[in-house]
Amino acid sequence: MKKLLGKLLKLVLLANVALFIVFFFDLDGKLLFNVVEPFLKKHYDDMERKDTMKSPYDIDKFPKYEYQ
Amino acid sequence: MKNPFDVSGLKAAIGEMDRQELAKKFKDFWNGKPHGERRLGELYEGKTGLYRHREWRGVKDTLYYFYMIWLYNYITMVMDLMKYGGVVNFAKGVWRYRWVGQTYLPVLHWFDRGLEGLRGPALAASAWHYRGMVNSTIKQFQRMFKADTRLHGGEKNEAYWHTIAHNETVWGGVFYPWSDKFENVSMEMIPYFVTCHVNSHTVLNYIDAVQSIGLPGDPCPMCQAEAGIFVQDDVPDYAPFAIICNEACDASVATSNLQDWFLDKPIFALPMPMLFDDPLVKKHCMAEIEQMWKFIEEQTGVPFSYEQLVKKLKLQNELQEFEWEKWDVAANTEFYPINGVAQALYRIYQSQYGDNEIWHEVDRKVRKIMEKTVERRTKTFPNTRHRVIAWSCAPLYYSNWCTWAYNCWGLNVVINMDSLMFDMTIRTDSYEHTLEDMAQYHMWAPMRRMAVGGMKHMFELWEYMEKFNCDMVAMYDQLQCKGVQGLHGLFEDEFRDRDINAFWIPHALPDSRTVSRAEIRRLINDYMTTVMHEEPLDPSLLEFDDSMTW
Repeated sequence: MKKLLGKLLKLVLLANVALFIVFFFDLDGKLLFNVVEPFLKKHYDDMERKDTMKSPYDIDKFPKYEYQ
Repeated sequence: MKNPFDVSGLKAAIGEMDRQELAKKFKDFWNGKPHGERRLGELYEGKTGLYRHREWRGVKDTLYYFYMIWLYNYITMVMDLMKYGGVVNFAKGVWRYRWVGQTYLPVLHWFDRGLEGLRGPALAASAWHYRGMVNSTIKQFQRMFKADTRLHGGEKNEAYWHTIAHNETVWGGVFYPWSDKFENVSMEMIPYFVTCHVNSHTVLNYIDAVQSIGLPGDPCPMCQAEAGIFVQDDVPDYAPFAIICNEACDASVATSNLQDWFLDKPIFALPMPMLFDDPLVKKHCMAEIEQMWKFIEEQTGVPFSYEQLVKKLKLQNELQEFEWEKWDVAANTEFYPINGVAQALYRIYQSQYGDNEIWHEVDRKVRKIMEKTVERRTKTFPNTRHRVIAWSCAPLYYSNWCTWAYNCWGLNVVINMDSLMFDMTIRTDSYEHTLEDMAQYHMWAPMRRMAVGGMKHMFELWEYMEKFNCDMVAMYDQLQCKGVQGLHGLFEDEFRDRDINAFWIPHALPDSRTVSRAEIRRLINDYMTTVMHEEPLDPSLLEFDDSMTW
């Protein structure tokens, strides 16, 4: 039990140190800026989109919704 | 090869240091460097605004930032995602919609930019404001994704039939009568408005999209972007009908036309009158709100509930009452623990969205902090040289300019116009009073009351400047807002006549390409050196290249 607790404590400590390094050196920001955002941008740029200009504009489709 | 574990050089260096120097180094490590010695500009990597390393604020505040802001917010964001619709819906949304994937993943950098240099209670209270906005943002986009027919194979599910879509400047309070059964989510608040603050790159796609179909580039870029998300087919299909309005100006009317076309749903137009001081106009506005309620009843089949309306309005009034307490502390003491950007963004978000559990939670936390700062007489912004009031509409891509201005020049933006728009509670003693006050609130919409609401309201600046004990004005100049442009010269005359120190911040609301952040800083630097003859507190912040930053 003591050994397990010791191991758990070490693991928590290690996780804290690792997370602090990510935080302090802005590694999350660097990953998002240099890898994630360019990847997602490329995905969005390549995405096939509906040509909204070709959708009909039927202005009389719905009533005027006027109430007294 | 040099032994990496050889510390003899370090030991020798330490030996050479005198005791005073060592004590100073330890003090800087323990407490963080004093304001004048921080050199925050040296933390940035070139162009990107990323940090070589995040700021060392002393042991206590660095650990607070690490655990209670950075880690806490990453964890609560995941919890919020799970609570409001699940990780699968979120992943689908990220894959489908540019505005969420490109914008909201680097949200912690938005915290960083707004909270730079802050310490102690100012750091904690301002960060809670950001937490509130993040929760509300996740709640809304998750509702969109949960109800979105596009993410669910065209299926119109329960969430779809129980969501009301509306323009972002339609105050969420008008939907309170149905708030126990329906969620209301604005079509632009999350896909457009908040994105500009978090990642200013995203919105440029939407501005360009609307110009690509042949529309002119000179109207308000907000209206362009809001129409652009529809042109790009980037708005979730999450509700069976929508409530639209003319937002603040004529350019938005054109946006409404495009939205009517692309939404292809039943729409009710709830106008915002320009001349809202006229009592007859108010009567008309009250009648229009009632008509909108009839429209919602007709569309949903659920009757209007006055009890539910009153219940929610009372909760909203509680938020307003605490806001007045905050203003009182901000106006009359040096103990106000919220910085300019947190104050501005939280307040406009909260007052426009309406009642929400997270606002109450944030206010409880902030009240505790503020009560302590007042009790202990803690000077929260100790290097304040000028108390600044910011007036008109701010640059969305550089809302954190005031954090920079305090760190660089000691300019403390105490209050801003957007915070002061909804300076009222709503009576709940009778239906007639409630409706009358709701009409007033609706008419005092963002960018309406004091931005294009006529000279009398624009000039409420003088009254608030005195009330908040400010000695300087940061005057925003939205270059593509024809309403405000018309008053530029009048303000110049008034500043001269009243002998007020004021500097202008030109910008194009969401579009960072028209006036860059560096240009805004240069203009303020010029004013502070040539007119005020002052020296910067942190010279490393005078000039730096952040042209590519979020």
